[in-house]
Amino acid sequence: MISMNKVSKHYGAFQVLTDCTTQVHKGEVIVVCGPSGSGKSTLIKCVNGLEPFQSGEIIVNGVSVGDPKTNLSKLRSTVGMVFQNFELFPHMSIIDNLSIAQLKVLGRSEEQAREKGYKLLDRVGLRQQAEKYPGQLSGGQQQRVAIARALAMDPICMLFDEPTSALDPEMVNEVLDVMTELAQEGMTMMCVTHEMGFARRVASRVIFMDQGRIVEDDSKEAFFEHARSERAQQFLAKILHH
Amino acid sequence: MHEFDWSSIPNSLPFLWDGMKISLEITLSAVVFGIVWGTLLALMRLSSITPLSWFAAGYVNLFRAIPLVMVLLWFFLIVPHLLESIFGFPRGSDMRLSSAIAGFALFEAAYYSEIIRAGIQSVPKGQMAAASALGMTYGQAMRLVVLPQAFRNMVPLLLTQGIILFQDTSLVYVSALADFFGAAYKVGDRDGRLVELLLFAGAVYFVICFTASRIVRHYQNKLKTA
Repeated sequence: MISMNKVSKHYGAFQVLTDCTTQVHKGEVIVVCGPSGSGKSTLIKCVNGLEPFQSGEIIVNGVSVGDPKTNLSKLRSTVGMVFQNFELFPHMSIIDNLSIAQLKVLGRSEEQAREKGYKLLDRVGLRQQAEKYPGQLSGGQQQRVAIARALAMDPICMLFDEPTSALDPEMVNEVLDVMTELAQEGMTMMCVTHEMGFARRVASRVIFMDQGRIVEDDSKEAFFEHARSERAQQFLAKILHH
Repeated sequence: MHEFDWSSIPNSLPFLWDGMKISLEITLSAVVFGIVWGTLLALMRLSSITPLSWFAAGYVNLFRAIPLVMVLLWFFLIVPHLLESIFGFPRGSDMRLSSAIAGFALFEAAYYSEIIRAGIQSVPKGQMAAASALGMTYGQAMRLVVLPQAFRNMVPLLLTQGIILFQDTSLVYVSALADFFGAAYKVGDRDGRLVELLLFAGAVYFVICFTASRIVRHYQNKLKTA
């Protein structure tokens, strides 16, 4: 479904990504982890073209992201994305946040869009909050709304960019629960996260990045039991200690 | 000691009110056109298309570096003649009001565009990313997500600029247009009561602008707590 081949990116002289190659098959859940600055967020932002890259190739569902002829907006409407800081639209009610792109991008009717929106809010347990504004919700609730907003577009896969990093600890689980459920339903997912519990539960594979390179790309069992690189071992030792 | 004589004011109130209507008309039209054109300039300035951003930067720097009176005079003296020769408008048709509005609008747009540019930049970058990630085009993301938030933050500044513009409308006296200030001047001149009329006009400007800026301040505080 997603295939990356030797993707490289640099800002001026600074190399952010170097020859990143991997495949994500339908129904797989890939957890991308690594120290900060290792390029993991940049990597998944390249998948829907939010970050341009200079060389290599990314194919999403048969469409080349880097090709200048590709209609990026259309491609993005099929790939859901959830951000670290939620990025709900603060000037719209929750239900409008879920409807707007359905109306303006997919051309659904007001009625269809709202119905879909309410159904997804139900699913993330926030039907009651539909008429409120993002500022009136807790961080965990906002992130669940953001997931519902992405799902409202009926995406073929979902990208998560550190979805729990900006949350208070007691709100992390409500978001992870939604993500776990989604993974168990067979959604294709690429998640940048440090939540190793989540990775152990649902990941098909774990990608470990360091200094813009994919250092490990292995099944979760192989990664957690005997990571090959020293860098990954150090990383795991640090975060699994707590 | 000057003896004040206010008696010529009550009788000339209808004439002064006509002048006030012209001042308000100029202000409102220039604010509306200025904001529309200023928004386009701000978008050009922020655009990645170099010629557009250069044009907008040049426009803004030019208009901010010349006095408003001069722009008004140009529009008063030159533009009507141009229009006459290009579009064949009848010679001597009174274009003072339209040329004044055009002059103000083009001048104010330079200031509005800077306010609007700052407003757009104040919206977190992630909002644009989130809108794009949902498949919106650049235009849709701007129109539906970024600009509404930018304008909400900018309303106090835009209104304050409108109040300054209202005061500046008095500069149309250079084209002998009877706005409120011009009307007051004419009445005072006619009746030999210039001091009284100018004091009165000053008081009216003060009351209107002071009240308006209190309202803006009130709105600003409400925005902060919201």
